Amino acid sequence: MSGLLRLLARHRRAVILTVALVLSFLLMTLQVRHEAAVVTFTRQVVLFSVSPFIKVTAALVQGTRNLWRDYVDLRHLREENKHLQGEVAVLQRRIDQLEEQSLETQRLQRLLAMRESPQAGFLTARVVGKDATNWFKTILLDRGSQEGVRRNQPVLAPDGLVGRVVEVTPTSAKVQLLTDPVSAVGGLVQRTRVTGIVSGNLGAGARVRYLPLLADVVVGDEVVTSGMGGVFPKGIPVGRITAVERRSGALFQEASLQPLADLGRLEEVMILTALDGGTSFGAGATREGGTGFEAAGARRP
Amino acid sequence: MNWFLLGLLFCVLAQAVLLAPFSLGGIRPDLYLLLVFFVSQRVSPEVATVLAFMIGLWQDGLSGGPLGLRAFTYSLMGFLASRLSHHMYTDRPRAVFWLLLGGSAGAGCITLALLIFFLGPPPLVPALVFLIVPEALYTAAVGLLIFWLPQVRDALARSA
Repeated sequence: MSGLLRLLARHRRAVILTVALVLSFLLMTLQVRHEAAVVTFTRQVVLFSVSPFIKVTAALVQGTRNLWRDYVDLRHLREENKHLQGEVAVLQRRIDQLEEQSLETQRLQRLLAMRESPQAGFLTARVVGKDATNWFKTILLDRGSQEGVRRNQPVLAPDGLVGRVVEVTPTSAKVQLLTDPVSAVGGLVQRTRVTGIVSGNLGAGARVRYLPLLADVVVGDEVVTSGMGGVFPKGIPVGRITAVERRSGALFQEASLQPLADLGRLEEVMILTALDGGTSFGAGATREGGTGFEAAGARRP
Repeated sequence: MNWFLLGLLFCVLAQAVLLAPFSLGGIRPDLYLLLVFFVSQRVSPEVATVLAFMIGLWQDGLSGGPLGLRAFTYSLMGFLASRLSHHMYTDRPRAVFWLLLGGSAGAGCITLALLIFFLGPPPLVPALVFLIVPEALYTAAVGLLIFWLPQVRDALARSA
């Protein structure tokens, strides 16, 4: 026993590296089919512990940005235009504020219009953070289970689908965008009713996969959710086809998709909590979406 | 340990919030990886491996990827950086840039290999052209800037 300990102590560097690598590998293996409890717990702990800091930082950044717009910019204008009357500066400031308010009102009105769509339950949330890596596409929202957010609830922007909730803590939620490489959304080409799977593409937007080889799909076609899988209701606008690829010998054709929602500049989003007055979304295990990793597994032919 | 936790917290906030306006084509520098390199220069390989594993696990927890993906990559990078730090020490900016670029691209390739193993083959060219190379370049450039700051400070102090 002591000999083994001495051996381990002598090769402790290699032992520690091997343990770290094997542990990481095991963690990834545990998530291939379904997310293990230890993985869910670890994610929740990490997200819960840092989300207050992220929220405070996001609020500070927003505040500083507003301060910059309202005061520093204005002071700079004053310096450049010393000869102008103070009245002009006040008017300029008012215009800036009104423009900002107008833009915000437009955004909120569009969200409100969606909110007032027939018998749908929505929850508005602000985007406070982005994914920790460039490899995956997730965002952090300032709403959590305390406000009724549940896992797998669809998330929308005024222009179209954003993604779905994948992690929830009492005060925050993580949303997997439809451009995430492990996201999978059932899609339907609106014009020809051809179905496919919309998924993210590492470093290159989104694609529609598994379109039948002879299906009529052309550039400019709009894709909406197909409703298959149970996570996303049917008919939500997803994106527009920008290129179609038919490789010789392939069983399916693929298409590049430009999401209708500007996923890089999201500020506010809507979480779809219920439809038809009673049908609530979220929490249930489904084939569409599933856990991110599970969905990727299911995507393979 | 305090500086390590502070560094980790800074990385979390910067990567999630502060760096958003500085993203180029959706790509931000990987500050977690720079923290791994920074930590690995100052501790033994075994400690570097453990700390890098923790940094990776933390990043995985905040990312949409599988838990363990970056932990695996960073453990390896932390170990290698610590082992090689004495042999490869340099204060020449160009060499620092190339080392950071190589390290960052290496980390990207390991991550890609793991994703291929677990998820099946993604389109390699877009992953390399739109993700690994720009991320490595941006990370190396920011790392070089961070490396330069103490030198600039020292030069200013000397001139004063």
